[in-house]
Amino acid sequence: MSKTEYVSPEGLRLDGRRPMEMRQLRAEIGTVSRANGSAVFEMGNTKVIAAVYGPREVQNRSQLINDHALVRCEYSMANFSTGDRMRKPKGDRRSTEISLVIRQTMEACILTHLMPRSQIDIFVQVLQADGGTRSACINAATLALADAGIPMRDIVTSCSAGYLNSTPLLDLNYIEDSAGGPDVTVGILPKLDKVTLLQMDAKLPVDIFENVMGLAIEGCKAIANYIREVLLENTKQLEYRRGL
Amino acid sequence: MGLPNASGDLSTEVEVDAFRRLFPLRFFEKHLLESIRPDARPLGRARDTTIALGAVASANGSALAKIGSTTMLAAIKMEVMTPSMETPDEGCIAIDFHMPPICSPIVRPGRPAEAAPVVAKQLSDTILSSGMINLKELSLVSGKAAWMAYLDIYCLDADGALFDAALLAAVAAFSHLEIPVVSLNDDGKIVLSEGQGLSDREPVNKEKRKVNLGSIPFSLTCILHKNHILADPTSEEESIMETFVTVVLDSSSQLVSLYKPGGPVLAYTSAIQDCIALTRQRVKELRKILEEAISGMEVD
Repeated sequence: MSKTEYVSPEGLRLDGRRPMEMRQLRAEIGTVSRANGSAVFEMGNTKVIAAVYGPREVQNRSQLINDHALVRCEYSMANFSTGDRMRKPKGDRRSTEISLVIRQTMEACILTHLMPRSQIDIFVQVLQADGGTRSACINAATLALADAGIPMRDIVTSCSAGYLNSTPLLDLNYIEDSAGGPDVTVGILPKLDKVTLLQMDAKLPVDIFENVMGLAIEGCKAIANYIREVLLENTKQLEYRRGL
Repeated sequence: MGLPNASGDLSTEVEVDAFRRLFPLRFFEKHLLESIRPDARPLGRARDTTIALGAVASANGSALAKIGSTTMLAAIKMEVMTPSMETPDEGCIAIDFHMPPICSPIVRPGRPAEAAPVVAKQLSDTILSSGMINLKELSLVSGKAAWMAYLDIYCLDADGALFDAALLAAVAAFSHLEIPVVSLNDDGKIVLSEGQGLSDREPVNKEKRKVNLGSIPFSLTCILHKNHILADPTSEEESIMETFVTVVLDSSSQLVSLYKPGGPVLAYTSAIQDCIALTRQRVKELRKILEEAISGMEVD
């Protein structure tokens, strides 16, 4: 069985990127008119739409919390998002796990004590999946929360990194992700320089892990810069429309 | 929701918004007296419609349709299956309509929206009975293999006229559909051909081809209120005035489907005739938009 080369001898990956290069990012705010806040986030071929509804009245009275807001999150993939058509796009274990991860990540940065007895819903829908859906969802959720005007400690950005052919690689796509090597997903609060999400699978020596995690954090900071630019541009547009 | 009025007095703005929330019916009736609607449309006009083909790169055919703010994403994936005994040389189409929680504040996760299965059934009935797709075209090897086309429509923003937008997206996705090339391998199974000349297997169909569409159905939903007919309602209008009539006509102006699911207003046949006339006009607009979208794609 021949070993697939994920990094060619010239240092190019399967899609022509360098090992430390991220895929092309594209973000748009305010795409869902009915939502309080919404955003579309694309990382290469992975395309995710996030919508935030809230703060609004708690739908299930038994879950009402008296001193802070209830945060709910649902992650679902479209039937056509992956190569083969998926039979059960939500309710399966992976979707439930990712919903939980996104909820806990965003809950850490939302100032929930400012909105007691209310509910904030974050819904994420994956339209195209090509690796890094978890990270794209967190980035999209951050933009959607900012669009909804929900107070947060800092934005949360997330990026993944891996280690194949003895090279740390930033922002894995689906082929690299399913190669069987380690996959480290990091979520940080960039201004506060704190890590809120860290997930890894497969085996990795600790010193190489530090390298790979450092690379992922660099990726997160680059995404944070991009997100700030997008938010700034959006605010300028709002100012312009108000005639200021 | 409209953009804030830059020069308006803040107190009048708040009053109008409050009046709109507290007495929605009176708010709308004040506008109807002037034969206009809150978003400045005349009663018979539909919102701006756009179609973008090929929105999903990984699907065999896809389209994104927007009517005003209502956004629908349709994608078709083809799979090979064995045809049933009764129809050995016919393929099959499975139509599914989803309303994920992102589309509207009233959709709760875990509980499907009330409108979703209704629109799904309506779509399924309309598309299959309109004769747009000849199922015999989807056959590969008679009795052994045929195409199953899975059409999934996702509502990304629900702002009224869901059925119209969904039908438009479905029709656009079918006009963008390209049937992939397959060949028969040694086990007698159908496999996707990677490309030309790579294998010496005989391809079952020579090249990617488009599906021949028969008469294409287009629809318009109208709301009846007292003696006014409002075309293409927004979700706010739909929630206040509950009687709506959906008319589906095909490109030769033949009636494909008529749907009036009850409602407080009882309609004279003259009202239905008026709805059909409005739909006829709308069909002309939609045909033009669809043809422009298709020819835009062909230029590439």
